[in-house]
Amino acid sequence: MDVAELAGHVRRGMVPALVYSDADVFALERERLFARAWILLAHESEIPEPGDFVVRRVVDDSFIVARDDRGNAGVHLNVCRHRGMQVCRAELGRTSHFRCPYHGWTYRTDGTLASVPFRDDAYGDDGVPPDGERLLPAPSMATYNGLIFVSLDPAAPALADYLGDFTFYLDLYTGQSADGIEVRGPQRWRIGANWKIACENFAGDMYHTPYTHHSVVDIGLFREPTAAKRKEGVVYEAGRGSGTTYKLPAGDFRQKLHYVGYPDDMIDRMEATWSDAQRSLVGRDGFMVSAATVFPNFSLVHNWPRRRDGGDVVPFISLRQWQPVSATETEVLSWFAVDRNAPADLKDASYQAYLACFGSSGMFEQDDVENWVSITEASRGVLAGRLLLNSRMGLNAAGEPLRPPLEGFAGPGTARVGFGEFNQRGWLARWADYLTADGR
Amino acid sequence: MTDRRARAEVGVAGRRLLAYTDARHQEAHQFLVEEAARLDERDFDGWLELLTEDVRYRMPVRVTTMRRTGVDQRPDMAHFDEDRSSLAMRVARLGTARAWTEDPPSRTRRFVTNVRTFVGELDGDELEVESSLLFFRSRGDVRPAQLLAARRVDQLRRVNRELRLARRELQVEEAVLRTQNLALFL
Repeated sequence: MDVAELAGHVRRGMVPALVYSDADVFALERERLFARAWILLAHESEIPEPGDFVVRRVVDDSFIVARDDRGNAGVHLNVCRHRGMQVCRAELGRTSHFRCPYHGWTYRTDGTLASVPFRDDAYGDDGVPPDGERLLPAPSMATYNGLIFVSLDPAAPALADYLGDFTFYLDLYTGQSADGIEVRGPQRWRIGANWKIACENFAGDMYHTPYTHHSVVDIGLFREPTAAKRKEGVVYEAGRGSGTTYKLPAGDFRQKLHYVGYPDDMIDRMEATWSDAQRSLVGRDGFMVSAATVFPNFSLVHNWPRRRDGGDVVPFISLRQWQPVSATETEVLSWFAVDRNAPADLKDASYQAYLACFGSSGMFEQDDVENWVSITEASRGVLAGRLLLNSRMGLNAAGEPLRPPLEGFAGPGTARVGFGEFNQRGWLARWADYLTADGR
Repeated sequence: MTDRRARAEVGVAGRRLLAYTDARHQEAHQFLVEEAARLDERDFDGWLELLTEDVRYRMPVRVTTMRRTGVDQRPDMAHFDEDRSSLAMRVARLGTARAWTEDPPSRTRRFVTNVRTFVGELDGDELEVESSLLFFRSRGDVRPAQLLAARRVDQLRRVNRELRLARRELQVEEAVLRTQNLALFL
């Protein structure tokens, strides 16, 4: 495999199909991408009290995300410094300590070593080396709107710099009031698909919605994803994120948020929390965020299907991590998210809407995954793997954009109306940047 | 300390196990077998007819926890948390010509075993039925077949003399499902 050649194809929007199943490509992704980029692990609402923890992975590295006795969230490698046993074998809980089952080395919830059995007998007064006195902290860890990210790179850029202008859009999902979101879940399941396909799909694939998700329009669950509606939305790229939007019918800020099912008290809080530009994106420009991906494997979705009890629509938000297992298998972690201050009845209806649409049983997600699994299977072929898949939508034969970026758009970054694969190409170009950069 | 993992958080008070020779047990067992047949035959509309109007159908997310935690499922997140209207919508979708994930359809076989039927002390009309389910699913000709095992706790109610499913609680035996989706019913 010539990675420079792969990157060259990808950068002009022709994607060698083998990248969706090749083991060598995956090995390079582990080493050069997942060992450097910022990866979402959890949300602070999953560990509200001291001693609360969840265990999450970055590919094969297991991390304990715990709130310590002082109330601080920390992320520690789930490996005992003595013999490498996992000190925590549960995926969540509340505890005072993490005790290794092998020899009993015991760590506090902040990762520091609390006790070693027969320490003086075994190591003398000063025998356990200082760097073994705590679980290895994640080399870089930071939060945004309660979202906990880590990077395996100690020299990673600041998270705020990494996310860049995407925070403008991230706030619309995770900052609908000053208190932000709370999450439920995740649901977890494994799919026989390469992780990149999901990331690209959420980053910008408006073109698939009318066809892949035709059945949910047929049954009246979600009125929006017709071809006509989708091509009126914009796709935008900003910082490390990119996403899709729907164009809302005419009306002011409040009417537009009513259209997607938000009640007045939530709209009041959005009005108070969002900047002028964020309010203008919705109210003046009339765009509502839908799917998005933060590079590499954190995606979000916001839709407003029919309520279970009929009649009105209700909005829901889902966060997901596409966790690679291998080149051809991905674990999906899918959370339901809702503003903490939302009324209880909206939280319930929104949760039900999430279950109907996304997650392990979601009627949107089912058909998405069928596509992704099929692509992954096909790409394993020698001949199929050599195919250069055409990801040049929105460009003419000379490689020029069919339409210029939207002028006067309220949000940061570049926004374009109509069908195009600008975001997927942008995601893949960044992927190529990571894969072609040698390790430090 | 009682290990609460042994039972889902449902159950009639003071329930009593019926003998396998009891006609009510045999009727309940037959109901489950007939239900599985309709689902394996993809008669989803026929399956809906077996549910009460107020049916609740839940499959909580199982999680890996230490024993002392006392719980091993999420209280506020499920794979399924359905009522009749939401189940009817799922069935309607499978009936469209564009539910791609089930067209071509999966080949499925539901094995329903270890059936035990209980009655409550006060309510002689509702039956609580526990069963084990092994769900086999094969799609296409390349993908490995997928299995899903679950314990089911059902409440069956007599409606116009016929048994109907009023509540199902599925305790799936995986924290990370090894199945592509839950497009089908268990």
